[in-house]
Amino acid sequence: MSTAFLEWLQGTPVAVSVAEEWFPLVESVHVITLAIVAGTIFLVDTRLLGLSSTRLPFSHVSERLLPWTWIAFCCSVLTGTLMFMANATGYYDNTPLRVKMVLLLLAGLNMLYFQKVTFRSVAAWDGGRAPFGARLAGLISMGLWCGVIGFGRWIGFVIGK
Amino acid sequence: MNLIAFSRWLESTALSQAIQTTSWAIPGIQVIHILCLATLFALALNLSLRVAGRGLVLESSRALAERFVPAMGICLILLLVSGALLILAEPSRTITNQVFYIKMILLVTAIVLTLWLANVARREPEKPSRLHIALAVLCMLVWTGIIVAGRYIAYYIS
Repeated sequence: MSTAFLEWLQGTPVAVSVAEEWFPLVESVHVITLAIVAGTIFLVDTRLLGLSSTRLPFSHVSERLLPWTWIAFCCSVLTGTLMFMANATGYYDNTPLRVKMVLLLLAGLNMLYFQKVTFRSVAAWDGGRAPFGARLAGLISMGLWCGVIGFGRWIGFVIGK
Repeated sequence: MNLIAFSRWLESTALSQAIQTTSWAIPGIQVIHILCLATLFALALNLSLRVAGRGLVLESSRALAERFVPAMGICLILLLVSGALLILAEPSRTITNQVFYIKMILLVTAIVLTLWLANVARREPEKPSRLHIALAVLCMLVWTGIIVAGRYIAYYIS
């Protein structure tokens, strides 16, 4: 990405007002929404792993929780983008931020593969123990989201406030 | 001993010094704090939804409370321990910070409201009353307020 573009982004009225005034509030909303994203995902993942909600069908847990995950995820992306814009030139070179984006992408691919392949056979295991592929998807998901949060927190320590 | 002196004493303890001089310790403890708050928040959200007659409705509210309340207790203990370590590492950031005390008042309020909510869930009311729905919403608002206050501690310099 060109420096000119990053500088333009950083100079937009929205970016300036976030940088000068709204950053703490935007960051707070980011933490609230990430809590909903990660927390609901952990509940779905632990159901896959057979560690929680074992008396409930998997499809029920995922149907009831994932809408919250998606709405909160959209808000996280929005607030994350606003924070990036506030200091685009500073964040662009930030290594933890780049690692976080790669982990988010991997979490998305893991979810996509699960939805398109593993979840197809859900009728066979909905009420009971999930097959190996589904349990693996849950474990990978938990690991990746812990990484997303870990590297996300690290961004602020590298950028230097 | 006043708060500033207490804060300086905490800072001089061996454990505080150890955390301060380990570069990854503060971010590491903060990450554990965030993971636990995310789990606790999602559990509280599901308990609130269930009391309001939504969410995981295939399970009785009583069974859900029996599963989620102990899990929330574990998260809370981990939050208190990681939070205490963060205070110990940088006491001047919190001990004399008004926002920190607002957060603690909200925390006590959230615990009381959540226990009340859990009590309602255990009684398994057939239909959620307006009071129960209001309680569920209030409970989530207070937990949300705790997160906001937690983040503002970093911005409010005492």
